[in-house]
Amino acid sequence: MDSFLRTVADQTVNGLVIGNIYALTAVGLALIFGVSNLINFAHGSVYLIGAYVGWVAITWLHWPFVVTLVAVALSCAAIGLVIERVGLRDLQGSARIAPLLSTIGLSFAFDQIVQLAFTANPQSFASPLPDTRWQVGGVTIGTLDVLIAAISLGVAAALFAFLRFTRLGWALRATAQDRDAAQQMGVDVNRVQQVTFALASALGGLAGLLVGLYFNTVYPTMSFQAGLKGFAANLLGGLGNVPGTVVGGLVLGLIESYGVAVLSSTYRNLFAFLVLIVVLVWRPRGMFSRERTLPPETLTGTFISNSRPVRLPPILLAAVTAFAVIIPVVLPDPYILQVLTNAWLLGLVALSVTLVTGTTGQTSLGQAGFMAIGAYSSALLTLRAGWPFELALAAAAGISAVVGTMLVLPAFRLRAHYVAIATLGIGEIVNQAILNWDSLTNGVLGLVNIPPASLFGIELVTPAGLYWGALALLTLVYLVQSRLLRSPLGRTWRALRDDDVAARAYGINLNRYKALAFSVSAAAAGLAGAFTAHMYTYINHETFTSTTSVLALTTAILGGLGNLAGAIAGSVVLTVLPELLRSWVDYRYLLYGIALLVLIRYRPQGLLGTD
Amino acid sequence: MTQTIAGEPLLDIDAIDTYYGAMQVHFGLRLAVGVGEIVCLLGGNASGKSTTMKVILGLVRPRAGRVRFAGADITGWETPRVIARGLGSVPEARRIFPAMTVRENLLMGAYLRQDRAAVSEDLERILDLFPRLRERLSQRGGVLSGGEQQMLAIGRALMGRPRLICMDEPTMGLSPLYVDRVLELIQTINRQGVTIFMVEQNANLALQIAHRGYVLQNGRIVLEGAAAALLRSAEVQDAYLGGSAAPAA
Amino acid sequence: MNPQLVAHDLARAFNGVHAVDGVSFEVAQGETLSIIGPNGAGKTTLFNLLSGLDQPTRGSITLDGQPLAALGADRFAALGVARTFQHGRVFGNLSVLDNVLIGAHARRRLAHIGSTPLAILAELAAGLVRPGFVAAEERAFRAEAESILALFGDRLLPRLHEPAHSLSYANRRRVELARALAARPRVLLLDEPTAGMNLTETAEALAFIQRLQDRRLTILLIEHKLSLVMTLSDRVLVMDDGRVIAAGVPETVRTNPQVIEAYLGHARRTPPEAEDGATRAGPADPFAAWNVPVVNP
Repeated sequence: MDSFLRTVADQTVNGLVIGNIYALTAVGLALIFGVSNLINFAHGSVYLIGAYVGWVAITWLHWPFVVTLVAVALSCAAIGLVIERVGLRDLQGSARIAPLLSTIGLSFAFDQIVQLAFTANPQSFASPLPDTRWQVGGVTIGTLDVLIAAISLGVAAALFAFLRFTRLGWALRATAQDRDAAQQMGVDVNRVQQVTFALASALGGLAGLLVGLYFNTVYPTMSFQAGLKGFAANLLGGLGNVPGTVVGGLVLGLIESYGVAVLSSTYRNLFAFLVLIVVLVWRPRGMFSRERTLPPETLTGTFISNSRPVRLPPILLAAVTAFAVIIPVVLPDPYILQVLTNAWLLGLVALSVTLVTGTTGQTSLGQAGFMAIGAYSSALLTLRAGWPFELALAAAAGISAVVGTMLVLPAFRLRAHYVAIATLGIGEIVNQAILNWDSLTNGVLGLVNIPPASLFGIELVTPAGLYWGALALLTLVYLVQSRLLRSPLGRTWRALRDDDVAARAYGINLNRYKALAFSVSAAAAGLAGAFTAHMYTYINHETFTSTTSVLALTTAILGGLGNLAGAIAGSVVLTVLPELLRSWVDYRYLLYGIALLVLIRYRPQGLLGTD
Repeated sequence: MTQTIAGEPLLDIDAIDTYYGAMQVHFGLRLAVGVGEIVCLLGGNASGKSTTMKVILGLVRPRAGRVRFAGADITGWETPRVIARGLGSVPEARRIFPAMTVRENLLMGAYLRQDRAAVSEDLERILDLFPRLRERLSQRGGVLSGGEQQMLAIGRALMGRPRLICMDEPTMGLSPLYVDRVLELIQTINRQGVTIFMVEQNANLALQIAHRGYVLQNGRIVLEGAAAALLRSAEVQDAYLGGSAAPAA
Repeated sequence: MNPQLVAHDLARAFNGVHAVDGVSFEVAQGETLSIIGPNGAGKTTLFNLLSGLDQPTRGSITLDGQPLAALGADRFAALGVARTFQHGRVFGNLSVLDNVLIGAHARRRLAHIGSTPLAILAELAAGLVRPGFVAAEERAFRAEAESILALFGDRLLPRLHEPAHSLSYANRRRVELARALAARPRVLLLDEPTAGMNLTETAEALAFIQRLQDRRLTILLIEHKLSLVMTLSDRVLVMDDGRVIAAGVPETVRTNPQVIEAYLGHARRTPPEAEDGATRAGPADPFAAWNVPVVNP
């Protein structure tokens, strides 16, 4: 056989196998979305737990493969019930974005627990299956390929039979098609919802196990990537569309496989996220969707409660600022200064996210992308073009504003939950671009020996210098944002957040004001990223990950969305608290996850109230 | 014609206040449906008719007042529990399960029943009543015409063997031919012993088949009485159309 | 008189279902045109088209001779179309004053500088620096907003800085109306301005709309309380199933058999046997009781 054709055939088999796994992951997301209208961010964690349960069962306990499958399905079903309870049912009556944020918190907590139990290191996962390979028409097919296909097809058939022939399956379909009508037939939709989460999570867990076997390894960060792949497959097929999602998974697997064959394997994720964005923009309701029957209903895309913000008197703010300024003098402890410097930098990102998410109502999970753009801009300008730090920093803010806004531009026509997913995807695209654009970014190796921050020729290398630098940036951004919020611009932003339809009717051009908000936000995040780069003097594609984005959002929610002083207070709490309780440092992300859950449930207005 | 209900009413709504946020929908709503009756609740747009149905079904919780059904206080019950007590629902706009077949839709109506043999018998009986549905048994609910969907919705409600069927605007959006058919059907079902409570905008039609009627305006019952009397009353027309913005003289 | 607002053959279909299907009408400056019809007749969809929130699948809209249909909602507002919403859509977390100021958004000088990156930068700079003309404009709008709110007596003025979500339902509707007036509209679209209001509030709203009529404002009104429609309208447009089934002065519309049928439903062709032997007459004059006067406060 011609070698080109053989490659195509091999990649097709490859793509279909991976696609099967994506489909298995995404079907659960589709079921959950269909029944509960929730994009479940914790689904990737379920997949991770499935992989580790399987690994423990096979590698440590030497359980037979079939028993392992059952154990994975059951334990993940149990996790699914927890997600349903904590992430969704307890939040009935909250803002529509609340369950989505809640599943993010759960995901943080689950991932950290797995990491605490099994360390962050990848674990090798040898397949217990005989390694037989067959040649079929020139294409090599292994046992595992066959097994994955068999499990996926078996699951698909079983799912079909369940939905078509059982009473519960009928109830599930009825609930997904019309929740109110199902209730009026006597269906206990809460129970249906539990069953759906259990079932979806069992499938997600099996997918995790199969991926672990396929790549012979399991590691804690596989959760996040899997979740994103699941969203991509699910969005391709249509959010609540189960058969469509299966096709979406296969299509995604094939696109990735062919892409990898043509370029290189590091492009795999880039493809997935580009597909995600293209689908979101081109067909927000999936490949198989029809035109929407009615103009969109009003959705509250953000998490603003009807509270009154705590107004801090200017004198208090001035006093706190003055105190912050003299800390390095009165308390010249390098450790304390370093912790507080981190707090100021987190505060900067929290300010940036609270502007778009709090004031303007566009839930952003992509702030790390803007940070990365700022960091690389400033680092490259100083390293390669020899620009002075001050100039490079300013340019970084500008570049981040322009590039960042252009990247989110396609997401402007999206609403509510979809903005969150799109911005998450955009953050990932930035990271993937950094990873792959070797000539500019030095790829995996990252940039080293970035010149330290300096001011008028004085290098900020001491803890106190860095502290003051970060504090100065924070104060600057705070002043800029608070002035903007008190201008007509702030009013316009809040109006489009509260009701975009009414805002449009009064002549507010939504794209223009979203662009304004994102450009200011991206500039602030870019400043934070740039300063971080010069502080560490080393950055790579993993310096600014989506975890940072989620942490920034959590911080802003903690402080009270839209509340500037709150964002800074939140960042101090979330940075200092784990340090105060030294033994908690290892549990940091567990703490963040739980903090997010508790906040959403018990204090959605945050510490200082949403504004 | 009965003006008052003999014995305990099957459905009894007492002094209900309902709110959507800050907006009050019902102001001390009272009405009752006796065993074997057809009772219609009339009212113009935004009078609170559909919300009344939601309160009975447990989809909206009233802030004050009581709902009694079949001898139990069902105020605040979850919908499935109300259904299990013997209530059937024909929702507004029919709410057929669009991706399920006609047969599956009908069987969903019997979701709470365990007597499989009797369910099959009932299915046959209902298909005899609706020959059109028998022809389309394996088609998806979403592809039926409006009139066929209404038949399906009524059939689906009957599959639960309810004591009372609540119908929310059963003639809305139907062609005149189907309107007549649906109304005859309601009478037929009623003669077979099912009590009917219907919310209707189409006053002339509803009053022709109903025994009694209530007229709802701005969340209050402004008129009630025997259907024939209401039909002749010019006041109905006025109140029903929301014509009066002045306090009732 | 030349018509101020002309809709010609407007249609909007969703997946082949016609919500609005070939609606044409003209409104003269200072005229009040009411649009009535049963639920689902397409009235609100028509308002969405007239305010630019939705684009017609067919037909045209012209305001003082200028075609509108192809423009975005922000242009509609700038050209003088303001509206209220059926269930009231105030900005809940904005103060009463800020809500009304948003009404003047399209009148701001910076609202007309386009959406180029440079324009965006200019608006940002104006927000930061607040040059004289921006501050003066803001002061003028603020004074105007307060004078509009004063039209409602002491209902809203004492609550100037309260967030709109803390207001009563009727007060929120008033804020919405004030917001619309702050746009200095040439055409005002009122979608059920008295929905959910009690009798006193309804009477108050009626008096308020009459004051607007005195100022020769062109008003399009969707309303279910027909006494209100009869009192306020110069002409009435009756819609059913996406089409105009009747139009004319209130007196002709109220006796139109098609209108009666659309509202009340037609009588059955074969009335069933009346068990009690009573004759079941059709409506003799269903509108007989319409002449109930609306009480002004």
